[in-house]
Amino acid sequence: MTAVPSLSMTGISKAFPGVRALDGVDFECLPGEVHAICGENGAGKSTLMKILGGSYRPDAGTIHLAGKTVQFTHPRQAAEAGIATIHQELSLLPHRTVADNIFMGREIARHGILDKAAMRERAAALLDRIGAQIDPQALVSSLSIALQQLVEIAKALLLDARILVMDEPTAALDERDSRTLLNLVDGLRGEGVSIVYISHRMPEVTAIADRITILKDGQKIWTRPRDAAPISEIVRAMVGRDLKDFYPSPPASAPGEVLVAITGGTNSGLQDITFDVRAGEIVGVAGLEDSGKGALAQALVGDVPFTGGTVALRGRSIDLRTPRQATAAGIGYLPGDRKREGLALRQSVRDNALLTLRSMTGIFTRPQRGALASAVIDERLRAMDVRAANFGQEIGTLSGGNQQKAIIVRWLAQASDILVFVEPTRGIDIAAKAAIYDTMRRFADAGRGIVVISSDMPELIGIADRVLVMHQGRLSGAVPRGASEEDIMHLALGLAEARHEESGA
Amino acid sequence: MTTVPQTSLSLRRPERLALNAGLVIFVALYAAIAFLQPNYLELGLFMNFLRRAAPLVILACGQLYVILTGGFDLSMGAVATLVVLAASILINGDPDTTWAVIGALYAMGIAVGLVNGLVVTFLKVPSIITTLGTMLLVNGLALAWSGGAARGDLPDNFRNLGRLVWRDVPVIGTLPLAAVVLAGFVALVWFGLNGTVYGKRALAVGDNPRAAELAGTPVAATRILAFVVSAVSAVTAGILIGGFSGVSVNAGEGLELQAIAACVIGGAQLLGGRGSIWSAVFGALSLFALFTLLNLLGLPQALRDSIQGLILIAAVGASTWRIRRRT
Repeated sequence: MTAVPSLSMTGISKAFPGVRALDGVDFECLPGEVHAICGENGAGKSTLMKILGGSYRPDAGTIHLAGKTVQFTHPRQAAEAGIATIHQELSLLPHRTVADNIFMGREIARHGILDKAAMRERAAALLDRIGAQIDPQALVSSLSIALQQLVEIAKALLLDARILVMDEPTAALDERDSRTLLNLVDGLRGEGVSIVYISHRMPEVTAIADRITILKDGQKIWTRPRDAAPISEIVRAMVGRDLKDFYPSPPASAPGEVLVAITGGTNSGLQDITFDVRAGEIVGVAGLEDSGKGALAQALVGDVPFTGGTVALRGRSIDLRTPRQATAAGIGYLPGDRKREGLALRQSVRDNALLTLRSMTGIFTRPQRGALASAVIDERLRAMDVRAANFGQEIGTLSGGNQQKAIIVRWLAQASDILVFVEPTRGIDIAAKAAIYDTMRRFADAGRGIVVISSDMPELIGIADRVLVMHQGRLSGAVPRGASEEDIMHLALGLAEARHEESGA
Repeated sequence: MTTVPQTSLSLRRPERLALNAGLVIFVALYAAIAFLQPNYLELGLFMNFLRRAAPLVILACGQLYVILTGGFDLSMGAVATLVVLAASILINGDPDTTWAVIGALYAMGIAVGLVNGLVVTFLKVPSIITTLGTMLLVNGLALAWSGGAARGDLPDNFRNLGRLVWRDVPVIGTLPLAAVVLAGFVALVWFGLNGTVYGKRALAVGDNPRAAELAGTPVAATRILAFVVSAVSAVTAGILIGGFSGVSVNAGEGLELQAIAACVIGGAQLLGGRGSIWSAVFGALSLFALFTLLNLLGLPQALRDSIQGLILIAAVGASTWRIRRRT
């Protein structure tokens, strides 16, 4: 490859008050290359991409596109220069059609009147090009996250982007959709598009990237071709330690009594769910995106309750009609979408950690009494190693890992028996991930139980004592600790339903 | 991670600012009043100022509860009107019934608050629409009941609540009963927000009702209670207004908007999640001081509304600008 890089950034530096976010970083991407950037949260990946996308201006350094120096003062200039960014958080209008969204701001008009037919056709062609079977007339809100992501990509292609930045594109996708997306990335590479790929998922990075660049604390550690960068090397460069310490060791003793038993749990999204969680156990739940694993979490915490079947807690039958009932029964929920479902972002770290305690106590309880006292909760937050300058600061300013830890503190303070985690480490950097896994293990080892629902298979295999697999709203089987991704995939695709029918219980 | 120290500094500022914004504006406006009319510095006149400001402050405190939980209560003014009209009709010149009637007025208020809260939480009608509906409903009922015109008079023992001023009180000289009612009411609502866990629940519900619900917060009860407190404050304010202005069919007109404006000026955030009882108290005092100032300057009454509109926009604009600046 002797081609002129379609993108080359040299000596990029950027400082924010008190932080040196980027320090002389060089980065380039050739036409038809997938170049992955890896690094912990706060390593500078987002800042670098925001500079590329025109949202920030660098303090020093230059950007060349196909050999020409450019300077962006507005994101629109970057877009016009052929740089498209697909963010982790999608920017589609949910109540408009797919075609409307693709052409947002760039509508085709004839004599000042929208040419809907032409837009539909172009949209259909673009969607076809990326192999997405989506009706351009469908409302975006009716699509799954995975399909919405494809719409975003179609939107980027409309602009004929030469450089596509993908910021954790698979974070919200399950295994199958991730593979589709990776195939798509592969196809775009074949068309000569330069792809900057940011992801926390190592297997994905090594599968798709031609080159890999590691950022740490605002500096580039190295750039290597994929073959010279095994996962262990990448992780060591990112965090400065080895992968093997990553997941906690399995428990020494066998699981104890049954904490919660679900028998024949049924609702509109679930059929005949039967399983139990024992004391000391971490039960994983795997499945494709529409498998009902999300519905299972919502049923367990009373958000979208079971309409049939029974739930027994320590042998006593209980109702889980509302989250409040589930909370009172000792079940705590750590949602996958922390910003929308887990946190009151404008309240302090302390207030968020105290939310459940304050909600479950009598309304006339004095705010500083007993476990509600600031000193007590601060101690708990420190024990969980929640890093904040001050626990009175708004939780929205903390990193994802620290936010997740604060939510864990919330349920620990409530002395919950069962924690239901959904995507426990989505968008969380590697160091905080390890700490969260460790906390989960210790929680279970103290004689309590965890149900962890995740799309991240290595995570499930690493942390769970057994993994239940769901397919089309049913449990299609269970695999013990030490099973492979292939075993789980097999069940998740519904290929082994008959063989594993009994093992769900 | 490394960004923590940098953000925390700038973050703590707006919160303190929000607490003080109303107080600072109030002190500035009152200083302007005193400059034009130096005798406003006398304790007696200040007490009189408090007496006249009391209904607005009380209304703002009730409104704040609803604003914190992420809603609006537009029915307050109508409730105040209802209170004034209903009091004159029910008491009907017989001072012995005053206290029983006051009890009945609170019952009516609580009923309106419950309706607002239940409709908002269970029928999921946005609060601005729900309370607009109850505002029209209550206003209409009050007017129909009174026959469209002020009827009867309020007995002295009722009017004293708004009007009575004790003279020759040691140390402070004069003390209006309304100021005592005001202090008592503010202490109660302060206790509700700061002396119990309710306040933090309300903030969490206003900030992110979904997260609060999933964390076990009784979201519906928290919201309903806020509307009840708001209605109770409207009844209290209505009783004071009846006391010093007498019976009129437009006794409460526009007060709901003044109460919302007051909260915003004091730094409470519309749609919830931020604000304290001092936002309401000092915001209301600022607004009332502004009205007084405009009177002293001889501006026509009609301009009051225009200026209030400007201030409301400016206050919300300033608070969004403050939030945007630090992100």
